[in-house]
Amino acid sequence: MTSNASSSSFSDEDEESAGQKPKTGSIDYSPDAIENQLPSIALNTSIDEEKVSVADDHHEPVTEIARGSSREIEPERLISSTGESNLSTETGVWRNSSKVEVDGATSSPCSSGYAGEMGTSSGTASTSGADDIQELRNNSSSVGNDGEVLHSAQWVPGKRHVDEDDTCMSWRERKKHFFVLSHSGKPIFSRYGNEHKLAGFSATLQAIISFVKDGGDRIHLIRAGKHQVVFLVKGPIYLVCISCTEEPYESLRGQLELLYGQMVLILTESVSRYFEKNPKFDMTPLLGGTDAVFSSLFHAFSWNPASFLHAYTCLPLPCATRQAAAAILQDVSDSGVIYSMLMCKYKVVSLVGAQKAPLHPDDMLLLANFVMTSESFSPICLPRYNAMAFLHAYVHYFDDDTYLVLLTSNSDAFFHLKDCRIQIENVLVKSNVLSDIQRSLLEGGMRVENLPLYPSTRYGSLFHNEPSDRSQESLQPGIGGPDGLWHFIYRSMNLDQYVSSKFSSPITTHQHQKRLYRAYQKLYASMHDKETGPHKTQFKRDGNYVLLCWVTTDFELYAAFDPLADKGSAIRICNRVCQWVKDVENEIFLLGGGSTFAW
Amino acid sequence: MGLSSAAITTSSEALKFCIFDLRRGQHEGEELEKILFFFPADLPFPAQLSVIGLSEGLITFTRIFSPEAACEVIEAELHSHVFFEAEPDIWMVMVVAKSKETEAIWRIEALRSVLKEIHSLFIMFHGSIRVLLDKEPGGGLTRSHLFTFIMDYLNDFLMGNKFVLPNFRDSLKQRGTVQMLTVGREAAIEVQSLVGALDSCMGHTSGYSVILFQDLLVSTTLTPDDTTNLFSYATSRLTPRVLSSGGSSTWSYLRKGNAELASRSANIGSGLDGFRIVRPLQHGKWSKGKDGFLVTDIWGVEVGNLVPTTPTLWLQQTEHKMYLCAYQHKSLTIILLIPVTSMLNGEEGISMLKQQLLENASAKIVKVEEKLAKGWGGENAYHVKGYRYLLVDGDRNISRASPPGKVTTLTKESLLAINKVREDVDLEKSRGNGNNDEKDLEICIRAKNNAWVIARSTRGKELYIVLEKANETLLYASEAIEKFSDRYCNGAFSLD
Repeated sequence: MTSNASSSSFSDEDEESAGQKPKTGSIDYSPDAIENQLPSIALNTSIDEEKVSVADDHHEPVTEIARGSSREIEPERLISSTGESNLSTETGVWRNSSKVEVDGATSSPCSSGYAGEMGTSSGTASTSGADDIQELRNNSSSVGNDGEVLHSAQWVPGKRHVDEDDTCMSWRERKKHFFVLSHSGKPIFSRYGNEHKLAGFSATLQAIISFVKDGGDRIHLIRAGKHQVVFLVKGPIYLVCISCTEEPYESLRGQLELLYGQMVLILTESVSRYFEKNPKFDMTPLLGGTDAVFSSLFHAFSWNPASFLHAYTCLPLPCATRQAAAAILQDVSDSGVIYSMLMCKYKVVSLVGAQKAPLHPDDMLLLANFVMTSESFSPICLPRYNAMAFLHAYVHYFDDDTYLVLLTSNSDAFFHLKDCRIQIENVLVKSNVLSDIQRSLLEGGMRVENLPLYPSTRYGSLFHNEPSDRSQESLQPGIGGPDGLWHFIYRSMNLDQYVSSKFSSPITTHQHQKRLYRAYQKLYASMHDKETGPHKTQFKRDGNYVLLCWVTTDFELYAAFDPLADKGSAIRICNRVCQWVKDVENEIFLLGGGSTFAW
Repeated sequence: MGLSSAAITTSSEALKFCIFDLRRGQHEGEELEKILFFFPADLPFPAQLSVIGLSEGLITFTRIFSPEAACEVIEAELHSHVFFEAEPDIWMVMVVAKSKETEAIWRIEALRSVLKEIHSLFIMFHGSIRVLLDKEPGGGLTRSHLFTFIMDYLNDFLMGNKFVLPNFRDSLKQRGTVQMLTVGREAAIEVQSLVGALDSCMGHTSGYSVILFQDLLVSTTLTPDDTTNLFSYATSRLTPRVLSSGGSSTWSYLRKGNAELASRSANIGSGLDGFRIVRPLQHGKWSKGKDGFLVTDIWGVEVGNLVPTTPTLWLQQTEHKMYLCAYQHKSLTIILLIPVTSMLNGEEGISMLKQQLLENASAKIVKVEEKLAKGWGGENAYHVKGYRYLLVDGDRNISRASPPGKVTTLTKESLLAINKVREDVDLEKSRGNGNNDEKDLEICIRAKNNAWVIARSTRGKELYIVLEKANETLLYASEAIEKFSDRYCNGAFSLD
């Protein structure tokens, strides 16, 4: 199947192909067949009526709001490294490579009768061979690793495999699908494949949801072997995830919530009103051009702990640097700016809000995801702040990674915000904040190898060179921290923030990092079980890790050790990690206090 | 009294249970052909078809993505739907209502083990569903067998007019496993000699023997699967505990209900008449005769002399039809299975065998019973102070657990927590791709109520422990497990 196709592009994830070979048995798996089987189901929608109509004039007013103000700022627009223009050149590269792939591949990813499509199935994307990806990732990770974050530099947002549909074997084998559809069964979005071609499949999903609903119940989950189908209904919008990634149900549902949040961020929740007026309302055009936003969000589901912790993380910085940044953000915040954020990728450098209400970490995640993949002055909606109203986000990139976001409710504030930005930039340059940010990006952060010995009287900082104050136990390079400590995540409860250590050996490859990520995700879900949680402590050992988790009212600690680690030592190490975090907290967290922001 | 229709309606909201065959009723208008069993039977057909339609639709749907393993469970807000493909294309689906108030909090695998048990017991007495369907393609034969059998089975779960299926309070139990009696060396030798004696009674017939003391297995010469099936039958219908409660009012009014339901089933099948239906699970039908042998008229009565026909069953692996012959002395139950084909003279041969057993083995039986009774510590024999535990040996289908009376002392929170941990382990196991032996797993959770909830799994063995009165440190909890493992599990769960 797809596994021997070669490609040089980085597709997201081994998620793209499950590598499973479905048997084509005597049973017809097509959606049509399924619908025939739900005869009495009272398929209360007739599928024939659901022909996808692109020309639907009901969407126009919203489009106007959504895109109206983006025109005027053309000269100002700075496009991020993952922005549109880059994407298009990347796409060119993909095309080239995928041609090779088509020539070289012995079998088409489509096993269906769509013979006409076989040769052209490589439109904008490529089918990636899992083995190739692995090799390349291994290489890249040895060059230098960002640490906390799976290396996203090689990962390019954008929709993949757009020509597939549910008759394609390759489509069926993708590890994690996301679908959004309307309550009438009209497709709105699909992570893989062509929404228009998936109309029948979409109608099947709708039939399942509404069948259970008609029985007076609400469907949450279907489990079949390694696959889970997770459903989330948000008024007239249905969201479905089909996954064989072994993530807990709670995590997948949380991801659907975020997916919905991302849509609200772009359109506000008022879009549901259009469905009230016209059940066959077509939402697809409203989301036009936002593929990169969603694909980047799906990517975040596999590496960004914020997506399940509901906390954000800060770029480690010397305390004085962060104070300088906060001061200048504070200066502009009285002039109609609701929130101003100085960010470096997904990490917060500083954050100031004019309002009492703190920004919800989920909103920050969605906003950062949106900003990094799209235009620079946009109306956006913060689902947790006010799901019905637009704010206006002014975004300016100072360099490839560092950007400023100013949020205002005034759509005419562009030039004012630009002035604010110039003011801020001057200060940031003068006070060396930007260079400190670059330095932190390169060498900052907590490394398990540097876990200090206690008791230690030395003032703790991540930004002093500490030559040889380490114990012998941690000296061997390449085996992580002392006593088999490989990695940790510390989440502060009252700050809504977390810090995670940089990935060190042996957690260096993409696969290892993702596996660890999934293990944390599972641990989090089991500690926070709806019925019985939150539990206090958990020790879990399997073939891959020893995991230790501590949940208190002040913090949560998730730590991963060598699977052979000794329990007693692991506990000691965890205590040291907590102490360490405390010692350097003013460098890794955005702390409240002072006049700036009440956290 | 009786099982009034009002009572059935109440329970139907809590439980729906159906068996259907995907190969039948493929054409429009013939959908009813698919249904082989439905509970509650008085649910209108459109409602029955709707349950089956959804199940069938989702089986097909999930196969798009997961061709090897189709739909296993649907979780909805108010119900769980548990799927089990009992035989190729023959599906059992159980729909249970969830409710925190009525403690209807389920572990899916526990519910599935009920489905599995129903099916393996059905096969043991009636053979496979597919064979029955092939024998009589109309389906009436199959439907009437399934109906009476499952209704008799479900009666075990009936409390008042409500079905009480295994919920989180049964987290420290494992259905479908055998509980063994631990015997001393001396007693073991006696048992061995008894097994020899039983063997020689059966002569060259190549029969099998199973010995139970109370509700615990002492010895078996059957394969593990057949032992498990026979064990669950024996402990639910044959052991002294069951027989002594056999005359209680429970069964008599249930039987009345059954009769009612069974008559209704006639309307479903194309014809109940003509099929003589053996009801092996019927309550209160076994009793101990004067000679010590257990008798029942379930399998009919010989015309003329009123001697009950000897029960028969099928072995799973060899598919041999066997006579079942059970003898009881005090707490000891001895079951002999003799191939029907080797008993050329049928009932007469069985009588001779019984005679032989009384003559040649009864002295040994008395001796073994005495020895075992002396060594037995009573119903709390396997209680370990401070621990509430379940130990499962998956390879040998054996489990041992804290006595139920002790498990009930646990708080609801602890039981819910261990239930959840078991669910997580179930999931990990199912994802293990069959090589479960590789899955070495250790989970220790300190729950909200400060109880330690622990799961260990290694080389096909699983251990679940709840410690409510334990010190707060993880090391203390680990030590407690280590001690338990060394003492009661031959160190299987110890970390060298």
